[in-house]
Amino acid sequence: MKPLDVMWVGLGGGLGSVLRWWVGRVVGERHHGDFPLGTFLINVSGTFLIGYLSVLFGVDWHDRYGHGMVLNAFVLTGVLGGYTTFSTMQLDAVKLSDKRRGGIATSYLLLSVAAGLLTGQIGAALARAQG
Amino acid sequence: MIKIVILVFVGGAVGAMLREFFMLIVPTPSRGFPLDILAANVVAAFLLGLIAGLHSRKVASDEVYALIGIGMTGGLSTFSSFAYGSSELMIRSATGAVVASAYVVISLVMGYIALIAGRKIYSIRQ
Repeated sequence: MKPLDVMWVGLGGGLGSVLRWWVGRVVGERHHGDFPLGTFLINVSGTFLIGYLSVLFGVDWHDRYGHGMVLNAFVLTGVLGGYTTFSTMQLDAVKLSDKRRGGIATSYLLLSVAAGLLTGQIGAALARAQG
Repeated sequence: MIKIVILVFVGGAVGAMLREFFMLIVPTPSRGFPLDILAANVVAAFLLGLIAGLHSRKVASDEVYALIGIGMTGGLSTFSSFAYGSSELMIRSATGAVVASAYVVISLVMGYIALIAGRKIYSIRQ
């Protein structure tokens, strides 16, 4: 890990975070139900992309530290890490519980995880199929 | 509008770099349990609880919330590494599947508790 890689992570994280804010806004303007659809779509699409790009870049997920690989630091750790969020997902769930929507909160968390587990592998399989 | 974009960008950049430091500093235990990502996610959930609590009581401004609540804690936490890392562990071996399941449950429970704890801290001090 070089200081330059940390800079790439920061740049990617900033861009990914702005993208998350923008997608959340666009989805929030169109969707008015209790289910936190914006964060859900952000997290699931980001996980699909990390699966797809990890295979494409030939990165083992244990080995994200990169050894000076700019694409890895910038795109995987930076952009996708900044785009997806674990903390907002938990805040969404806590807010639903506040409104006595505990059932929706629980299914939201479980559905996010199940969809994430699945789409990451679908992305990886797609990249492998393309050779 | 442009002010929010800048605040979210700066906060997200700082958060993502902090996560990178977690990945460098936190040791990975045997059997591949992703302790670094767990630590980053739980700390981010705690901080988000804290700043969301302060923001709802008007102690933290909209700008501070954009910087820390949307930018920094979102950049520090990650769902993509959490979910993809779990799925990779799961398909690798039976042991991996057990470790990954424990990782998912611990992350969800600890993240939830950390967020509520962060939110309560301010009201306790009142």
